[in-house]
Amino acid sequence: MTQNLVNLNVNPCKMCMPMGSATAFYGIARCMTILHGSQGCATYIRRHMATHYNEPVDIASTSLTEEGTVFGGEKNLLQGLKNMVELYRPEVIGVATTCLAETIGEDVERYIETFHDLHPELPVKIIPVAAAGYGGSQYEGYWHALRSVVSHVDMDTTPNQYMNIIPGLLSPADVRALKDLLDQLQVPYLLLPDLGDNLDGVHTEHYERLPQAGITLAQISKMAGSRATIEFSLLNQPAYSPGTYLRDTYGVPLFQLNMPGSLRDTDALISLLKDLGAKVPERLRQSRGRFLDAMADSHKYNAAGRAVIFGEPDFVLVTARLCCENGLLPVLCATGARSKELAPLLEADLSDCARRFHVASYQVLDNCDFDTIERKAAELGANLMIGSSDGRRVAQKLKLPLIRCAFPCHDQIGGQRVRTILYDGCLSLLDRCTNALLSQRETGFRQKVYDLYYKAPATVSLLPADQPASATASAKARELQRKTDEHPCFNGCGGQFARMHLPVAPACNIQCNYCVRKYDCANESRPGVTTEVLTPQQAFEKYRYVKSRLPELKVVGIAGPGDSLAEWDKTRETLELIRQSDSEITFCLSTNGLLLPQYADQLAKLGVSHVTVTLNTIDPAVGARIYQHVDFMGKRYTGETAAALLLANQLAGIRRVCELGLVCKVNIVLLKGMNDQQLSQIVQTVKDLGCDQTNIMQMIPVAGAVFEHMPLTSNKEITQARRACSHILKQMNHCQQCRADAIGTLGHDRSREFCQSRLQAADAEPAIVPAATALAAVLPSSSPPSVLPAALPSLPAEPAAAASWLISILARSLISISMITRIIQSVSGNGAGLVLTAPRTAVMARAAANGRKLRTTVCGIS
Amino acid sequence: MPHTDILTERKNFIGQGGGKTVCCDRDSVSGAVSQRACVYCGARVVLNPITDAYHIIHGPIGCSSYTWDIRGSLSSDDELYRNSFSTDLSEQDIVFGGAEKLTRAIDEVVAKHHPRLIFVYATCIVGVIGDDVEAVCRQAEQKYPLRCIPVKSPGFSGNKSYGYRMACEALMALIRPAPRPAGRLGVNLLGDFNLAGEIWIIRHYLEIIGIPIISTFTGDANYDTLMQSPQARLNLVQCAGSMTYLAGQMEEEFGIPFIKISFFGREDTSASLIRIAQALGDSGLIARARAFTQEQEARLLPFEQAWREGLAHKKAAIYVGGGFKAISLIRQFNAMGMETVIVGTQTGKAEDYELISQLVGPDTVILDDANPAELERFLKEKGADLLVGGVKERPLAYKLGLAFCDHNHERRHALAGYEGVRNFTREINLSLNSPVWSYMGGSI
Repeated sequence: MTQNLVNLNVNPCKMCMPMGSATAFYGIARCMTILHGSQGCATYIRRHMATHYNEPVDIASTSLTEEGTVFGGEKNLLQGLKNMVELYRPEVIGVATTCLAETIGEDVERYIETFHDLHPELPVKIIPVAAAGYGGSQYEGYWHALRSVVSHVDMDTTPNQYMNIIPGLLSPADVRALKDLLDQLQVPYLLLPDLGDNLDGVHTEHYERLPQAGITLAQISKMAGSRATIEFSLLNQPAYSPGTYLRDTYGVPLFQLNMPGSLRDTDALISLLKDLGAKVPERLRQSRGRFLDAMADSHKYNAAGRAVIFGEPDFVLVTARLCCENGLLPVLCATGARSKELAPLLEADLSDCARRFHVASYQVLDNCDFDTIERKAAELGANLMIGSSDGRRVAQKLKLPLIRCAFPCHDQIGGQRVRTILYDGCLSLLDRCTNALLSQRETGFRQKVYDLYYKAPATVSLLPADQPASATASAKARELQRKTDEHPCFNGCGGQFARMHLPVAPACNIQCNYCVRKYDCANESRPGVTTEVLTPQQAFEKYRYVKSRLPELKVVGIAGPGDSLAEWDKTRETLELIRQSDSEITFCLSTNGLLLPQYADQLAKLGVSHVTVTLNTIDPAVGARIYQHVDFMGKRYTGETAAALLLANQLAGIRRVCELGLVCKVNIVLLKGMNDQQLSQIVQTVKDLGCDQTNIMQMIPVAGAVFEHMPLTSNKEITQARRACSHILKQMNHCQQCRADAIGTLGHDRSREFCQSRLQAADAEPAIVPAATALAAVLPSSSPPSVLPAALPSLPAEPAAAASWLISILARSLISISMITRIIQSVSGNGAGLVLTAPRTAVMARAAANGRKLRTTVCGIS
Repeated sequence: MPHTDILTERKNFIGQGGGKTVCCDRDSVSGAVSQRACVYCGARVVLNPITDAYHIIHGPIGCSSYTWDIRGSLSSDDELYRNSFSTDLSEQDIVFGGAEKLTRAIDEVVAKHHPRLIFVYATCIVGVIGDDVEAVCRQAEQKYPLRCIPVKSPGFSGNKSYGYRMACEALMALIRPAPRPAGRLGVNLLGDFNLAGEIWIIRHYLEIIGIPIISTFTGDANYDTLMQSPQARLNLVQCAGSMTYLAGQMEEEFGIPFIKISFFGREDTSASLIRIAQALGDSGLIARARAFTQEQEARLLPFEQAWREGLAHKKAAIYVGGGFKAISLIRQFNAMGMETVIVGTQTGKAEDYELISQLVGPDTVILDDANPAELERFLKEKGADLLVGGVKERPLAYKLGLAFCDHNHERRHALAGYEGVRNFTREINLSLNSPVWSYMGGSI
């Protein structure tokens, strides 16, 4: 057993015994089931069956309570049987025990005798079956119920011409097909259970609450005199086998076959029936021939399949055999039940199929949960799942198609009509599998081939023959997911992952009314500012230095300070230099989108995986108020023309990067009175283009910008705006509006430690610069850190503490009078006595500080 | 021999409108095919939506299998609650006791996932073999930095309502040690499980009015939000059947008063929003609540008028889990001009049935803990056009040729708030006025 959690089942791949027993009883005419236990068992099983079969499922419960549990459930069972007879008038009642009844040691056989003694007038056959939930899965419960049926019904041993047919759990449509076959072959049969009609009813004028179809009690009693029994199970234990009971008790010859769910197993059934005297009609030969024809037609597509097959042991066995016949290799065969015999029965088929296609590994697991199935499916490179609806979460996570052909199917319609057996049923299932593989290939092959031969012909070797296509595709998807998880701006939380912005792109091709770019500014924290602009070579060196000091660095981004695509060569050269020395690092880029259609494909080729586009409106009239001008193809546009031009390129660019499989985020600057009423339309629009998330952000009023005096948006308003759009698309809630040269985690910008002027004596510097030393960098060189406390008497005495709060003032953007006032208000409450300010903001800072009786010191770092 | 539709033992549980009440809140009758589930089900329904909790089912596999990710509670954060963890007890464990396996299972979860919060559900079998689940949980809390809360939910220990109460006990055990600064402006929403995002709808309304939600029980809740719940000024109880007990406990221990509200239907939604503002006693909030509800109602009016034509005078039957939902549905059908001919619930309380019988006419049938035979009989007798219910009732309605509305925990569409009115009306209409019903019957 390879499960890593041996005491814990995570997401069960099985149900319990009473479920199987109740299902088996549904194949008997005029039969009802009562579960002897607490009320929930019946209700849950009814719910599961009702959603799969889309039929009313009435299963009674003895509704045991504390009293029944302590003093025994006889009273409940007697009353329950009587009530069922009154309500339904059944001819047969199946009494299945549950965990509770088995554990408290209920003597159900004796209770039934008492019932008959009390009600001799009620002609009902009551059949008990022990079905403790912990005794096995629904698979054992099903067979045990059938065994109990044949061992409890009064038998007529007079020899007859019937053939007993005892199938495993089949869909009603498969049962009807099986009956048709037997009729075609002119084989008189007794089918136990006959689920063909009761769980796939017809719409009639009068609803009959007691199932009327199915094998009757009189027919069951003839099973002891039949010519032979054919039981469709190789994995059923003898103790639960009705055929074994009939053989051992009444001498009815027993043939145990696989379910006829593959070519060989259907052949085996037909040939056995032939040996027993049946005549094979031409129609059946044609059906077989048609199946062979189809197998030939689709063999090449199927050979690309690597399936996970999960469910009951007999289902897994026969479905795996069908797949192997068609070269569709089941890399994982898994059953939730305990079945040690499954693996040896499959070994010959699996090893043969794997050898043909040079596949190294496949696995057969029993007692398996979906946690294990998920892990193994990924490891073994599966590209298809075959089983029930319970596999849907794994299928979603691994992006695999799931063929629902077993119980339960409760997230789609038609579980009762699924065909899987006999030639035509096998073909129906095979077609579904083939088509799932075909549609996978059809949607993915253009990209795959492009990536392989166009994008990186020199560096990527051809796929090994045994590697399924989707394993590569899903490896790519996993790689992208890993990059997203490690990208502080895209992973939803920032976390411990660091990124660096390389300020190599100073130029901008549009002018936004809220933006003022600065190339030598250390004391603002917002997009568009940097302490320095770097050449691609300098940027590469800086990257290498930072990487050596900051092992948690996962992402290199280009975020201006202008537009990253406006001077494309600089951006391209920077990324190329870095990619040559580091194939792992995530590349990310932000842009206004004007040139995105032009460069999207080249970005993908360079290995950029994450793109952020700032798109503030989808209405050119509004855009005309946001953008002063747009420079495009050597010409300057203004007004609505400019805005429309920008918008058209943004939308086309976003669509293209999404098509290329890049992760795309859209930043929206909330501008009161302009785009604040359109946010949801903007978000919907970019979602439709394929974007992964949007980031609605505050406008930072910048001195000198047209929007300098625009009203501030509060955090609360931003949160509300984000929440209002969160039902449309994932929202970024942790944006820090970083500088164009930001370095570090989102919560801790360390760009100053790494600015170019300080890299000269780089090797001697400690990896982490203490706060006090960092402060020295922003103060005039004549003020060494050691004299700080003396020079600034009202600061905290401990230099590092003092320095860090001063830094915090500087690091926030001293950009508008209201913001400065706010910051000063908050720090003065903390005992601060001094405001440090950059020259540009000195006047405003002084005004604000005077009101608070604080000293103001101007410190220049430029 | 004709069927009996109504068992003698069931007669007192069936009544009629016009102010009379029915017998309720009793154990189900054996063999009657009750639609109810068990104590464990009740407890799991209430606790499962807590998104970052590990729900370990200590018992045989069925209990875990049938409750795995079948409900429509949504999360804005963690998806952990969509897994189902089980000790998958076998015969061997039943004989020798399962407590050790549970201890090892918790060890495995801790080693692999570092959980902060675990709920351990005791199932029927654990109640019988006597595993000391509480002791195992206590030891886990001593061994690891986490909360491990036992949920005493053996299926036989009562009915589904008792499971709600056990879940409330577990929640109290969790939040009792939480720090409690004096009443923050804000409310807790109890008894909303965020089906199809309904909590998000309500949160939005309350935010517009100016009332923050501090914590939710338990839709889209997590450990952190739950631990803040004792700070709230007011508790709002929506699903009264499951959460009134918790609200009472919180009132007693933390001094947080509660009011019962409902966000199903236009009338209930508006009335509830205004009552919440009134309960907080802030005239600004009250004014905003009135303004907001008036505006929303005015917007809804043309929609309701446009859709009313196809719905008016149709006959509806209701069979749902709890009383509060039934009551809101009756009002909604009244608003649509429809007549409610049958009302039943699985776990309604005496006060629910009193109110129900006042809301409906004397010819309306009232049922507690009904079964398929009774539903069939009254659906036919009363000529119902539509049944509102859960998954198990749906095939019966279709067999009888009736329209059906899914009003259960598995649905994918929000039925709360003003959005919910639109969704509900559309759903009723798309089933009631489907062309398929006109083809049922006929012959070839």
